[in-house]
Amino acid sequence: MRWQLVGKGDLLLWLAGLLLLSLALQHLGFFDAGRLGRGAANLVTFARDAVPPDLGVLPLAGRALWETVQMAFAGTLLGFLLALPLAFLGTRSLSPLPLVLLARLLVAATRTVPALLWAVLFVIVVGLGPLAGTLGLALYTVGYLGKLYAELFEGVDPEVVEALRGVGASRLHLARFTLWPESANAVVSQLLFMLEYNVRASSILGFAGAGGIGFYVNIYLQTLEYTRLATLLLLILALTMAMDALSAWLRGRYLLASR
Amino acid sequence: MDGSWPVRARDLWFAYRGQQWVLRGVSLEVPAGAFLAIMGPSGAGKSTLLRLLAGLLRPQRGSVEVLGQPLGDGASPPSRIGYIPQQLGLVRNLSALENVLMGALGRLRGPTPYLGLFPRREGERALALLEALGIGHKAGEKAFQLSGGERQRVAIARVLMQGPQVVLADELVSDLDLPRAVEVLALLRRLGEAQGATFVVNLHDLSLVQEFADLALVLREGQVAYRGPARSVTWTELEGVPS
Repeated sequence: MRWQLVGKGDLLLWLAGLLLLSLALQHLGFFDAGRLGRGAANLVTFARDAVPPDLGVLPLAGRALWETVQMAFAGTLLGFLLALPLAFLGTRSLSPLPLVLLARLLVAATRTVPALLWAVLFVIVVGLGPLAGTLGLALYTVGYLGKLYAELFEGVDPEVVEALRGVGASRLHLARFTLWPESANAVVSQLLFMLEYNVRASSILGFAGAGGIGFYVNIYLQTLEYTRLATLLLLILALTMAMDALSAWLRGRYLLASR
Repeated sequence: MDGSWPVRARDLWFAYRGQQWVLRGVSLEVPAGAFLAIMGPSGAGKSTLLRLLAGLLRPQRGSVEVLGQPLGDGASPPSRIGYIPQQLGLVRNLSALENVLMGALGRLRGPTPYLGLFPRREGERALALLEALGIGHKAGEKAFQLSGGERQRVAIARVLMQGPQVVLADELVSDLDLPRAVEVLALLRRLGEAQGATFVVNLHDLSLVQEFADLALVLREGQVAYRGPARSVTWTELEGVPS
């Protein structure tokens, strides 16, 4: 049987990618069998020490988890409220160029700093506790939603914008009656995604003293209280799964029902 | 304002950035209340000419004056110019009635429209227009749920909601079969004339032009190939125009 090679360029790209991956893994110690073997043994020890989970910490963990949810919810919504006007200002079909550049610069600057680092900065500014974490999440949200929303708004059919501009609509009218309704589903979808992300992120902000369940995760890690740690990790897992389910339900119920 | 010539364009030259001239020295004048059909093969510059007349593009050379006001100087076009783009430009996630109400935005002041609150008389007028166009029963349906013909009627209602003195429509009936196209153009003309409007419409079909237009302007490769009474246009003038 004779064979013909199709997509030679693709094959070369795959091979180059695999080669780069191998080099990176080797550099990172993935091919150190002794180290990996010790790691596996440590994992077994950790798993044995963490079972059974200590349910005595449930009341404390429940309160911390509730604080985590509040931080994620408030941080996401505050960030959304700031991101929306910035995204409108950063939309070229709507705003004058200097404003577009200024808004995009602000959004890009907030996106540069990770949520955990924002939380550390706010711990310095407003002190330890969930306020710092919430502000950190809010700014991180501004950075992401500000960019995603501006791109969504720019993706709205220019003819729709043009048609409304033709009736004498102002810039605010255009934002309210074209960009918003045409993008609303995607805006809400991104918002739900951000909320899911922030729930996960807020679980570790406590490492920096910024409130939430992460504070106790950090303590139990340092004091080697793995049975208590296991309870917290299970709670975080349950919360994440509940958020994913809620988000999926909201999408199915409200977003897929319209276009 | 020179009321006798609501639409005037002189020696228009236009090219999209980095591309060849689309329009080369096009001039036109449309008397008040007249219906001008712009014809020509694809790529002749018909849509570009209409967007220049709507004030949505700025010519590199030449001038446009609509309702006595020079356009293309960066200022918003006056709301008395009604423009229907080729794809209609409806907001898909707004209802038919809400889309028609958008035609009133140019004359509404204050914050209430942002809350979705429009004066009752505007709502009644929007509904009356939809009813006059035969789709009053579709007022509550989202634009994306409407058929192509219904969407065209909503776009007409929106433009009439403006109370325009000039109506510019780009290929409004190009997707419709002939009887449906006749119906839509008849409605546009009847309702527009009741408001004293002047029409500039891109049309392909010669029989529609002869039925509805007073004047015709044929473009070929960005230049005027014919300008005169619509009834005098023949296939000879339209050589190169698809039937």
